[in-house]
Amino acid sequence: MKNSMWSLKLSTSALVLIPAAVGINYIGKLFAGLLKLPLWLDAIGTVLAAMLAGPVVGAICGAINNVIYGLTMDPISFIYGLTSIGIGLSVGVLAHRGRITGIGSAVVVGLIAAVVSTVISTPINIGFWGGQTGNVWGDLVFAWMAAHHFPVWMSSTVDEFIVDVPDKIATVIVAYGIFKGLPQKMTILFRHDSQTEQL
Amino acid sequence: MKALSLYQDNGTLIHRVDPISKLLYIAAAIFIPVVLTGFTAGLAMLGLSLMLLVLARVLRKVVPLIGFSMLVLISVVIIQGLFYAGNRQVMFALGGVHFYREGLLFSAAICVRVLNILCAFALLVLTTRPSDLIESLVRQGLSPHFGYVLSSVLQIIPQMTGTMETITDAQRSRGMETEGSLMVRLRAFLPLIGPVVMNSLVSTRERSLALEVRAFSSRAQKTFLNEERVSTSNRVIKIVLLAAMAAAVAWRVVS
Repeated sequence: MKNSMWSLKLSTSALVLIPAAVGINYIGKLFAGLLKLPLWLDAIGTVLAAMLAGPVVGAICGAINNVIYGLTMDPISFIYGLTSIGIGLSVGVLAHRGRITGIGSAVVVGLIAAVVSTVISTPINIGFWGGQTGNVWGDLVFAWMAAHHFPVWMSSTVDEFIVDVPDKIATVIVAYGIFKGLPQKMTILFRHDSQTEQL
Repeated sequence: MKALSLYQDNGTLIHRVDPISKLLYIAAAIFIPVVLTGFTAGLAMLGLSLMLLVLARVLRKVVPLIGFSMLVLISVVIIQGLFYAGNRQVMFALGGVHFYREGLLFSAAICVRVLNILCAFALLVLTTRPSDLIESLVRQGLSPHFGYVLSSVLQIIPQMTGTMETITDAQRSRGMETEGSLMVRLRAFLPLIGPVVMNSLVSTRERSLALEVRAFSSRAQKTFLNEERVSTSNRVIKIVLLAAMAAAVAWRVVS
């Protein structure tokens, strides 16, 4: 039996991957803070789960990640769950089609993830914050563009995009690096497009 | 094992309200000001949330929760006050820069909206044990598998933070630089996160075996550890909240 990548029937190992992936997101954010990197790097787990188990698990990881963030740190993250779902879906589809073959294509996938993230986040930013992202560098650009009378949607898109591009590219590269380093007996566990014998 | 949570166990009246009623309260707190546009409804909901937070004796714990958003809100006030597209009328000048009335009003509306949502969520997050929330969601029809996933996340994160400290120490003792220029710090990221990820994925494998052995995928009806508490007061709260939302819609249609 060959399952499609959109199958909603999740195996136990795929379900157990979700908490681990959310944990990886959290650890990535902590390490980025610890090393004082100018990136968030808080979607590594989501991207890794999408590479390992496909778009459905990637999207669920994204959603649960933001629910947990919302419950434990910042309630605003609930709304940005939509962005995380988008990232999980897009990376999952691309990985499943075998588009991630090396560092070069990982950069392209990161760029696509950044576009998806910008498209989803910008309306939320505008509706919620009047267009800002809360990131110092992005907001400086936003202020400059607003002062020069660019329309809000344009300055807000640029604000989100310049923050997202380096972050998502770095995220996909790190996740790809980890994915490549995994032994096959690990990766085979989560793929559900091939035939697997249940215990 | 310490689980990740902001829950404050004060045992007040608010703590005994069931989580579903609190979720409904959040829905009402967001919905009513959206329907009744203008400042009054938003400020009234915000005042109500603050009052309930005082009643639950968790007001001081709200500060760190909204701290991050406060920073963003301050920058919103400054940027919109200075550069909002509809700016016409100067309100005041500060050190040679002009703050405009329209921009400040626009940013004040954003502040009220965000603080209102934050305080409503704070009421849920600070007065509900996460496991109770998950259990009532499962009772309402959430798949028990997802209930497991959610509560598992709350336990796994403190565990992984522990592993993270061990690995940081181990790598530092081998002479890895974690401070210095941006390039040095970027290069340190992979050797730090790699082992934590491997570690957690390996334990994933064991965990799924352990769950399967305990009939995790069984389709039989699941039972609950705690008995469901049904009280009329909780039903009254839900009815009042639903009525308030309906009244807001009716008011908007009529006026």
